[in-house]
Amino acid sequence: MKLKKEKLLELYATMQTIRQFESRIVDLYAKGEIPGLAHLYVGEEAVATGVCAALKDDDYITSTHRGHGHVIAKGAQLGPMMAELFGRRTGCCKGKGGSMHIADMNIGILGANGIAGGGLPIAVGAGWSAKWRGTDQVTACFFGDGSSNNGAFHESLNLASLKKLPVIFVCENNLYGISVSQARHQPIIDIATRATSYDMPGVTIDGNDVLEVHQAALKAVKRARSGEGPTLIECKTYRWRGHHEGDPNQGARYRTKDEIEVWMAKCPIHRFTGKLIKDKVATRNKLETIDREVLQKIDAAVKFAKESEFPAVAEIYEDVYV
Amino acid sequence: MREITYAEALNEALRICLTEDERVVLLGEDIGRYGGIFQVTKGLQEVFGPERVVDTPISEAGFVGAGVGAALTGMRPVVEIMFIDFTTVCMDMIVNQMAKMHYMFGGKGRVPMVLRINIGAGRGAAAQHSQSFHSFFMHMPGLYVAIPATPYDAKGLLIEAINNDNPVVFVEHKRLYVTKGHVPEESYRIPFGQAEVRREGKDVTVVATHAMVIAALEAAAEAAVAGIDVEVVDPRTLTPLDKEAILRSVKKTGRLLIADEDNKTCGVAAEISAIVAEEAVYYLKAPVLRNCSPDTPVPFSPPLEKAYLFGKDRLLESIRRLMAYA
Amino acid sequence: MATEIVIPMLGITVEKGKIIEWLKNEGDPVEKGESIFVVEADKVTTEVESPASGILAKILLPEGVEVPLLTVVGVITRPGEEVPAKYLKAAAAVATTTPSGPEFAVSRPPPPAPTPVARTAEDVIRIVPAARKLAREKGLDLRTLTGTGPEGVILFKDVQTTAATVAEPSPKVSTLARRQAAKEGVFLAALQGSGVRGRVMRADVERAIRQEKAPRLGKVIPMDTMRQVIARRMSESAFNAPHIYFFTEIAMDPLLTFRQEILADFEVRYGRHLSINDFLIKAVALNILDFPILNATIRDKEILIPSDINIGLAVALPEGLIVPAIALADKAGLAEIAYQRTDLVKRAQSGKLTMAEIERGTFTISSLAQYDITQFTAIINPPQSGILTVGKTREELYLLNGNVASRKVATFGLAVDHRIIDGVVAAEFLQHLKLKLEKPTFTFLHL
Repeated sequence: MKLKKEKLLELYATMQTIRQFESRIVDLYAKGEIPGLAHLYVGEEAVATGVCAALKDDDYITSTHRGHGHVIAKGAQLGPMMAELFGRRTGCCKGKGGSMHIADMNIGILGANGIAGGGLPIAVGAGWSAKWRGTDQVTACFFGDGSSNNGAFHESLNLASLKKLPVIFVCENNLYGISVSQARHQPIIDIATRATSYDMPGVTIDGNDVLEVHQAALKAVKRARSGEGPTLIECKTYRWRGHHEGDPNQGARYRTKDEIEVWMAKCPIHRFTGKLIKDKVATRNKLETIDREVLQKIDAAVKFAKESEFPAVAEIYEDVYV
Repeated sequence: MREITYAEALNEALRICLTEDERVVLLGEDIGRYGGIFQVTKGLQEVFGPERVVDTPISEAGFVGAGVGAALTGMRPVVEIMFIDFTTVCMDMIVNQMAKMHYMFGGKGRVPMVLRINIGAGRGAAAQHSQSFHSFFMHMPGLYVAIPATPYDAKGLLIEAINNDNPVVFVEHKRLYVTKGHVPEESYRIPFGQAEVRREGKDVTVVATHAMVIAALEAAAEAAVAGIDVEVVDPRTLTPLDKEAILRSVKKTGRLLIADEDNKTCGVAAEISAIVAEEAVYYLKAPVLRNCSPDTPVPFSPPLEKAYLFGKDRLLESIRRLMAYA
Repeated sequence: MATEIVIPMLGITVEKGKIIEWLKNEGDPVEKGESIFVVEADKVTTEVESPASGILAKILLPEGVEVPLLTVVGVITRPGEEVPAKYLKAAAAVATTTPSGPEFAVSRPPPPAPTPVARTAEDVIRIVPAARKLAREKGLDLRTLTGTGPEGVILFKDVQTTAATVAEPSPKVSTLARRQAAKEGVFLAALQGSGVRGRVMRADVERAIRQEKAPRLGKVIPMDTMRQVIARRMSESAFNAPHIYFFTEIAMDPLLTFRQEILADFEVRYGRHLSINDFLIKAVALNILDFPILNATIRDKEILIPSDINIGLAVALPEGLIVPAIALADKAGLAEIAYQRTDLVKRAQSGKLTMAEIERGTFTISSLAQYDITQFTAIINPPQSGILTVGKTREELYLLNGNVASRKVATFGLAVDHRIIDGVVAAEFLQHLKLKLEKPTFTFLHL
């Protein structure tokens, strides 16, 4: 797969945006400036980036509680996203949803979902809807290793395969469901093997190699668009931080510092940077320029959020019903 | 006007909507080839095909969630759950997804979906196939809830539900499926939030749901012979609730009985009692009475199930008790 | 620019934390992301990373002290940068906090057990809501109604029947009376109306309220605000100001005659009735011009003598004594004094005085002349320094040049604050007042 230089730099910029956005949340959260909960994507950037780079604007995604990465990669605007995290009226959900319910119907983001496995049936519905309406839209469904044990996972894969729906099931296997390691929550190691139970293709890939992710996604998207049905892509990856901000010592209750360090050494951005420079796609200067541009965008988003108003109390009753 | 059954009226409503709007699709277990467990979807798959009238696997979370996803992306699905009892299997999809998306997404993202379910005991179907906890859904903000009692209302409310942009839980009643009534042939819509005063009276108000509307009318007829004038109010939808109609009636008669088949504790009757106590207490000439199912699971053995159920006789007893406060 | 180090948010249920170990010392260089201290919260320890690179210039929170999350615990500066002064003060403040040692329970007396209220059968009247409302509208006493409903509950129709059979519907009540009665919870039907054809007026309602509040044997009366204030001020004055008392008998015939002579013309001219009190007010004010110390008030170690002489006149109300003051009594003519007095007393009785009218008083006159009280003592009205009491004018026999004659006398009393007014001064004041009052023509010429 030979990608154009612009596309490669786009992949880089997206991963960098996710990394910097999440890192900024670490600071803001620690200072008590963001209310509620934050589940951060640091370390998993290649998965969201690689998959969403294979989608069009009118394709759909469903996301998870750890959804900032997915929605940024799908093209959500940073300002309204940040404002939503701050609970402001200018947030993409008018402050009514928060971190776990970021949504933007205009670019096919059918919502981050706070329920483990909650997005799977909805993704099936979106895929089915495209089929009913006769469009070639596909739906990428992100979920974790934990959710792969949930009833909704099995029902969704079964339905999608049965009806040959255009859904790409992307399992982000980061080896933990909160504090329970994969070894302790399922008897298998490669979740992609479950695809055979539903008569659909399943692949296990290196989730920290953005090009490998992108390639697998392109293949699955092509299959889906041509009406051949769903695919299960299992991305092996790892979250650097705890399950949520406040998880002591980045999950030290249930994982070792050594393990974290091993995975940090496999940083997807670091690896991709090395590749871009080695392949002479970009110089270190060029990449640092991109880094600075990204930082500016993050700063602008935070400024926008902080300067925005909170919703008026009366708005509590708005949008309960249409 | 011809008379058809409640089930036939629902069938007509679905047929009309499937014909007029290609975004309407039906999902459910055994609704296609079999025509639905109560024959509500009979003949529809033949006409509209298996892609639009879908026999789903036994995956409530899967296909109810799929309904949500499809509704979010431009379709108007009508999903059937075979018995209200099975909604528990997919409660997350109903409560956390269907009901809340419009709100959580700040009004961007509608779920114009209808979830058809049914309630009612009396057929020996036992504890897991006979419940009537429709108050769960009245309790959940974000959901509209319809409770048609007659074939006429069933058709009009279902067509309205399918065309309404809110997620609707459409609660049918097992024993009413075979009841007959006058139903126009054409398409018509009954707006949500409009109760119907089925019988006017000045002595006692009976607010009744589903099959209790029939029981209330029977009780009223008998009470009339004894010189008691009973007013029967059918709310027709629980959310939105036509509170004004209920309060108007209570202010007129001063005596209120609520008849509903849900378990007594925390049921629809409890909510209506609270509303009346809050907003019309000075009009009450007697305590508020509730005729509801006992706080037990539905028993199997016929005499027990019979005792669990109630009808016009229980209502009459309550009406007489209220008249002791005349 | 200095960077603050805070105890970060540690999860949604955690509110406090304490540093159990600083991993760096003051003055050490630190890198962003390097672990800098270990915090313990909810029995969990977590390492906290430095938010910036630089020098750990100041540690503000020592180990072992529990603080709320987001407390500033240290400051990082760039090399060579000064620590901002505000952090140095903060360090001192925290240092004085006692470190959290073993928890000791603060012993607190258990809340008093709620006293059970004996419920008598009469407490609960069983009546349906509609009937209760109708009964209230008709002014019917619920205790007089009989219920024909189940378990004897009073039904709507029971109230309807009773309301219809009451011979005369509840007496006509004025709007003000009804409103007052509703506010105070007075039962209208029991009132005697003093208005036209037995109409119940507000005064009747107020009378009923007063009777309700009047002391009776075996009754507990909660002190209303006015009574509480009076009680406090009286004891304040009694305990802080050492009172000394002086009495003198003043011959009242000259004053009484003087008044009688001008009374009719005064009324015609000024439309007001001239009272003996008006003369007293004027005379006392003129007397204070000669003895300004009687106008004084004490503030800390200073004696303040205001330039205005505002004489307070004690007015007895059912709720308690109130003392509005006639302003600038030394400068005002008798007509002006009469005018002020009439107005103030009227408004005192209807509760419409302003605080200013009471607080401006510098000296008080208290008269019980309408009672058979020969003489009496009074407590000075704080923050004043003197009070004049007036007893009843009586007829008595006395010796005039060896012959028996009769005259009218009244015993006047003077109490002064002995901290600033000595006996001689008080005596002179009273002496001069007596002279003024016994020579009204000269006094009230006001030359």
